[in-house]
Amino acid sequence: MTEIIKSVVCPICGCLCDDLEVTVENNEIVKMKNGCAVCEAKMVHGYKSDERILEPHIRKNGKLVPVSMDEAIYKAAQILTDAKYPLLFGWTSSASETQHVGVELAEELGCALDNCCSVCHGPSVMAIQEIGIPTATLGQIRHRADLLVYWACDPWSAHPRHVERYTAFTDGRFEKSEFKEYVQKLKGKASKKKVEAAIRRTQVRYQPPPRPQTAIVEAPPPTLAKTGRKMIVFDVKKTMTAEVADYFVQVEPNSDYEIFGAMRCLVNDQEIDVDKVGGVPVEYLKEIVDAMVNADFGAIFFGLGLTQSVGRFRNIEIAIAMTRDLNRKTKFVISPMRGHFNVTGANTVFAWQTGYPFALDFSQGYPQYNPGEFTANDLLRRGDNDATLVISADPGAHFPKSSIQNMMKHPLITINPDWNAISRLGDVVFPAQWCGIEQAGTAYRMDSVAISLKKVVEAPKGVPSDEEIIKRILNKVRVIKAQKTRKDVTETKNVENKKI
Amino acid sequence: MITITPKRKFDVPIQAACINVDIFTGKTLEDIKKLAITEGKENLTLNDAFNITEDKTVETPNITLIGDFSKVKRIGQGMKTGEIIINGNAGMHTGEKLAGGKIVVNGNSDGWTGSEMKKGLIEIHGDAGDYTASPFRGTDTGGMKGGIIIVDGNVGSNVGCYLRGGTIKIKGSAGRFLGHHMSDGTIYIEKNCASRAGTFMTGGKIIINGTIELVMPTFTIDSIKPKVKVDATLNAPGPFYVFLGDIAEHGTGKIFALKTTNPALSTYEKYL
Ligand code: SF4
Repeated sequence: MTEIIKSVVCPICGCLCDDLEVTVENNEIVKMKNGCAVCEAKMVHGYKSDERILEPHIRKNGKLVPVSMDEAIYKAAQILTDAKYPLLFGWTSSASETQHVGVELAEELGCALDNCCSVCHGPSVMAIQEIGIPTATLGQIRHRADLLVYWACDPWSAHPRHVERYTAFTDGRFEKSEFKEYVQKLKGKASKKKVEAAIRRTQVRYQPPPRPQTAIVEAPPPTLAKTGRKMIVFDVKKTMTAEVADYFVQVEPNSDYEIFGAMRCLVNDQEIDVDKVGGVPVEYLKEIVDAMVNADFGAIFFGLGLTQSVGRFRNIEIAIAMTRDLNRKTKFVISPMRGHFNVTGANTVFAWQTGYPFALDFSQGYPQYNPGEFTANDLLRRGDNDATLVISADPGAHFPKSSIQNMMKHPLITINPDWNAISRLGDVVFPAQWCGIEQAGTAYRMDSVAISLKKVVEAPKGVPSDEEIIKRILNKVRVIKAQKTRKDVTETKNVENKKI
Repeated sequence: MITITPKRKFDVPIQAACINVDIFTGKTLEDIKKLAITEGKENLTLNDAFNITEDKTVETPNITLIGDFSKVKRIGQGMKTGEIIINGNAGMHTGEKLAGGKIVVNGNSDGWTGSEMKKGLIEIHGDAGDYTASPFRGTDTGGMKGGIIIVDGNVGSNVGCYLRGGTIKIKGSAGRFLGHHMSDGTIYIEKNCASRAGTFMTGGKIIINGTIELVMPTFTIDSIKPKVKVDATLNAPGPFYVFLGDIAEHGTGKIFALKTTNPALSTYEKYL
């Protein structure tokens, strides 16, 4: 039986493209239209890999053995209630419904709660709390933006359809796509290469031009003054996005803060005492600032190159401050390039439930917030927590060694669809459905627009959703806590009967 | 004098804002032992985690802590009078919102020490962590308003953010974003300072007696001064380059960088 499902939402990156056309045959995705290569890799091939976890496991005598769901739930609940200060981490590849139950579990346990944004765009959130943010939805930017600045991010590789769907290469209502010009540029480059090759063939001994030792920033091209869409990329290396941009500015690593500072002065018509900032001559910066001020609607997108390099949330703070300054002269917005498809949702749900977006602590009975104190890596590095639950994330592959070493000193519970690095290290390992493929739910796009994920195929038999697992653990935790406080056996039975 | 020593090595953090002279005064030893603290999510009494003894013959310091207190948070929070001595490392938020009295740490202190402090004195005879004397995240009105913090060792990054008064004296080196957003008060560093000092500052002064890694382009040279006053007791001998900023914020804060240790800054002399 073949079925074509339209308007499927891609559950991979923060773009949440909602125009996929998926062909399902015998409960299996066989073909997909409109998605990018990353999307196809997961939606058509990745989700049905052999590495799938199909039943719960518990580590016994150092080996993971399959057990029943009830046993695993009981074991997990016991670990969490016995621990003095557990940490619940992950959440960003789960639906918002799961995140919602997660906050309830954290409150019940009085533990630390953090999501993956503490290792990606958490600094952006902190900067927004410091200074606010002038931003817009991607729809606004698609239809109106005529100057697009990508700073320290590479959407061409990491958010492959961002440029095509929301910015330079899309036909907006008021701004036209730049795709044709880009193709022309490519053709021009190709013919230039041909000519060069022909010249090379005629010369007997061809000497390649010497490679520049240090990064040399080219002067801004005259196209920066043209009307219509323009794209400027700031990065430490020439990325794929930089190749398609009108102007690429290669900055010295870890000097974005200084460049933003200098650009702020230039936006405010102030003089600066140096001629070069972060490897970029000030006269070039002046031209860039001119282009920014002359734009009708500018948009800055920034990525992990800003949030995770030296300065972290201060980098974002000054980027937002520059956007604020630009808004005195023209219209400018700024937006983070969020990674996982529902990391924005994790922030939104946590903030709506507790008042704070990440790095939470419930040990005092009320939510406390402090990145640096309650963020997963800081807790783990100091060895503060004594049990960990990881859901829909893989710190095993991405956290520093010292954090994982401390994590492994204590029991570890994992909830993930496949055998990733952290699942292999777990003491209690749960299987889970692929959110957005086998499970419906809500996710938030990188501009905080809520989008409903679709269910396209049935999950393998016996594999529950992570929401169900968290709910069952929560109920079990309540039962165990009740048993601890109330010695009366009959009373406890009543609670057990109430189990959902 | 009350002496407190840990009964065991702590793994998970302990929140003990009750270790505070104001709370201890007027209480018997038995009452003090019953004060509530938390270890992770567990609710305990002070006696569950610490040995507490009283020595009626000694008046000051009012409280002495002996041992490793690096996992004990919020010691002396909001204290108004009295003196606490910590013979060992102190945890986060030590002396937060201090409104008087004195806290001495004979060891290192962790982040947010002296955060949102109003009055009093904190002496750290070791290193101090990040965010020393900086307010809670997202509060721009909560910076340190007065009092003195003296650090014998080095400090981490983001020290003295949103500073609105008081003095911070650092005998070692300082990390990045020193005095970020400060509007008044003085920060004095005897050794080196990492880049991005005084960003967003609108007032106050930062005095650097060692090398400064880089002066932000948002600062402009003002003059060369022979000496500068740190506080009533200390005049730092120069000559100092004086930078004004943060000009992007229309600020009039000053960074004083010693001329002899900063030859790289001589390029600025042509603007004088
Ligand atoms: S750009 Fe992102 S959301 Fe869109 S199809 Fe590709 S991976 Fe999926």
